[in-house]
Amino acid sequence: MNVEKVFATEAQRLRDKRPGISSVPLCLRGLTSVLLFALVVLLPLLAFAAPENAEPVCIECHSKLPEKYSQPVTLWRGSIHAENGIFCNGCHGGDPKDAANAMSPARGFLGVPKEDAIPAFCGRCHVGVLKDYLNSAHGRKLAHGGPTCVTCHGSHQVVKASLELINEKSCSRCHSYERAKVIRAAMQETEALIVAIESRISGYKMTGTDTAKLEQELFAVRNRFHTLFHNVNVELVKQESAGIQADLKKIKVVLDRFDDSRQRRAIAGAVAVSVMLLIALLLHLLRKTFD
Amino acid sequence: MDNSSRRTFLGLCLGGLGAVAAAAFSWPLFRYLAPRTGSDAAGKVVIPAADVREGEAKFFEYAGSSAVLVRKRGGDLVAFSAVCTHLGCIVQWEKDKQDFLCPCHGGHFSADGSVTAGPPPKPLNKLPFSVSGDSITVG
Repeated sequence: MNVEKVFATEAQRLRDKRPGISSVPLCLRGLTSVLLFALVVLLPLLAFAAPENAEPVCIECHSKLPEKYSQPVTLWRGSIHAENGIFCNGCHGGDPKDAANAMSPARGFLGVPKEDAIPAFCGRCHVGVLKDYLNSAHGRKLAHGGPTCVTCHGSHQVVKASLELINEKSCSRCHSYERAKVIRAAMQETEALIVAIESRISGYKMTGTDTAKLEQELFAVRNRFHTLFHNVNVELVKQESAGIQADLKKIKVVLDRFDDSRQRRAIAGAVAVSVMLLIALLLHLLRKTFD
Repeated sequence: MDNSSRRTFLGLCLGGLGAVAAAAFSWPLFRYLAPRTGSDAAGKVVIPAADVREGEAKFFEYAGSSAVLVRKRGGDLVAFSAVCTHLGCIVQWEKDKQDFLCPCHGGHFSADGSVTAGPPPKPLNKLPFSVSGDSITVG
């Protein structure tokens, strides 16, 4: 690689130089240039050289096929799976790097699951949700044309779950909305807390605060909460909501501490600036006494 | 006021402000470098040994998060943070398989905490513990 060659030549030139009293500043200058060169040129090159989450061959082929086969790709691009680097092979199996054998069962290709196999298909990753779903009124109807994961979540444009998924238009495709409406109402308060906390965490993240632990905690609580819906049991939702809200309160306490700390820092900053200005004024007055 | 006494006054004021500025700079530095006090005892959790039966797990709260003690078949004890290293969900103990399962994305961990399947990038975090008589102290 040319850049590496230039780097190696520069390094060799520096090594060949005999260090002496007169050459020290030159050496330092050379070393500084090499370091700057490495920082400015090599790091961005390295970042481009090894792209993460390279798209699988499935996308390349399917994007060029008629709509029936290309639409899943278009839909997937707007999904939470795409957002988190879960590609076609994450669900459908197969070899994502070998176009000729991408759909070979020998390479683990599973294809499209049959209707009643969908929950088990999705449940390979979403194990907790599968368990709750199978125990629910929805899951018990699985072999009799009951709803599966894709009935509510869609099959490729799977978006981040929210209470918006429970709505009259969607639920009344199969039954009346009344029961779902009660469950949604029971979940509304906790959902609002989750959304508010998520927004506060996101605000702190934008300003450079380390929010990784809080994000993980919120993810775990939200997942537990949304999984709860799959039971389709109002009483259970009400029972569990108290515990979930208590866990959310713990995250809220940490965020409140962040707020306090930010306020204290703002005051300390204002005091520090005032003291510096005062020192500058006093120094100015002191200088004037020598005029 | 003549220049000399003005200089003395301004010098005193500057000295005072300089001392305040130095203290304001040093105090957070000192607090950052000074060892924490009192956290050791507060971080310990004592669990009766009888609560952790062979092949079973005992979940408890440790340092503001979920933790688990497991007595493996054969009697060996292990303690871990119960927080999945993938996205932070709380793992479940599967007694029949003698492993941990994360209900969120199907991560599996062995009874030793190492990843056996799924997306977790690293093993469960081990917690220090000691056994004394009939009780187990974690932390």
